[in-house]
Amino acid sequence: MTCDELRARLHPYVDGELGVDETLDADEHAARCPRCAALVESERRFRRLLRRQPREAAPPELRAQIVAGIRRAARRATIRRWAPLPVAAAAVLLLFALLPASRNGDVLVAQLVDTHIAFAQIDDPAEFRSTDRAEVARWLRQRAELPVPVPDYSGAGIRLVGARLAEVRERPAAYVLYQKGYVLLSVFVAPGSADEAALRGERVSYRGHDYVVRQQKGYRTVAWTDGRMVFGLVSMLDYEALLECADRLRAERATAMRA
Amino acid sequence: VFSWPRGGGGSDEFEATALPHLDALYRSALRLTHNRAEAEDLVQETYLKAFKGFHRFNPGTNCRAWLFTILRNTFLNRVRGAGRVVSMADTVTGEGEISATREPTVPDNPEEEFFQTVLHGDVDRALRTLPVVFREAVVLTDLEGMSYREAAEVLGCPIGTVMSRLSRGRLLLRRALADFAREHGYSREAE
Repeated sequence: MTCDELRARLHPYVDGELGVDETLDADEHAARCPRCAALVESERRFRRLLRRQPREAAPPELRAQIVAGIRRAARRATIRRWAPLPVAAAAVLLLFALLPASRNGDVLVAQLVDTHIAFAQIDDPAEFRSTDRAEVARWLRQRAELPVPVPDYSGAGIRLVGARLAEVRERPAAYVLYQKGYVLLSVFVAPGSADEAALRGERVSYRGHDYVVRQQKGYRTVAWTDGRMVFGLVSMLDYEALLECADRLRAERATAMRA
Repeated sequence: VFSWPRGGGGSDEFEATALPHLDALYRSALRLTHNRAEAEDLVQETYLKAFKGFHRFNPGTNCRAWLFTILRNTFLNRVRGAGRVVSMADTVTGEGEISATREPTVPDNPEEEFFQTVLHGDVDRALRTLPVVFREAVVLTDLEGMSYREAAEVLGCPIGTVMSRLSRGRLLLRRALADFAREHGYSREAE
């Protein structure tokens, strides 16, 4: 290697970015050329000087803001990008129609949770097994004598499994079963007024609608009433998913009522 | 008060993968913007964009380079979008910090004497005198320790281009630092 050749490769040489052959050639040249050796040494020192610059850390407040921002975005994304919900588990959507309305919302929700847990332990809880929404809705209309909305959650990987009738507070109920992995989700519906529902929990608003949410026995519930029916969701899914399910259920019902 | 469950939406994996690079991103953002508020804003936007695009990130590939690329593009978009030159506000380094970075002397190489008199903040001051293309090559490789390949990925250019920008950048930086060193020397003589 000549002086010119080494100088042309000076930076990749000191940065260790030359191939083995070229590195050895450059070593050999520098060993017998004091001027090039001084050049190499000077460049190495300069590089070390730069590397030794103080490495300032980001302010803790910035880190906190970023984490908060990411989590806010995560929540929005869970709702908006409903489809790629990172739930590697089953979602069972239970839709109960209670006849007539419950007088105690708190007891109602507690009982819905218990029912949900009971069904979650059955290997095949669907009494009527179908992946066809119209078929499931028809079956529930005949058996529960209620127009039960059966929303499509397939975009979220939640597939319809079927439906069954149940008893909640010694009254007939109906539910629709969905699955996604092993996470369970139940939505209950009862005819009745808001006063009769008397749902207890935290009040939240989602897409312009009010819901009552609470957590018990590790399951989250989202409940609401539209004046004629009382609805409840129970699941281990997060609230974003539940609220999105609720919103779609509302939309489905609104469409059915207009029709 | 109702509180949302933590970790919903899959932010855990992103936080574990991307947040370790926060300090490096912040430092580089400071060197791009020369302004703390702007740098913080830039880094925040970078992380939000990265989170939203995290499904496109290929696990096992270089997360740091990926984040730096987003930082750089975000910065460029801002500068272009605002139709302005980069703010040159001198807020990167605390003025008045004078603890010297000492290098051993090389007696037979007088050219290097200025290494001894390089003060904290001088390197950042000198970097600011560099055109952005050279500055970012030096910052990524020399200050953040990236390989040529990694820097090329961030800068979106061939490795050979990184090499030439780096050579030029280091030369310009040396000259600027030597100038500062002479200033320090003159000021000492005047005392």
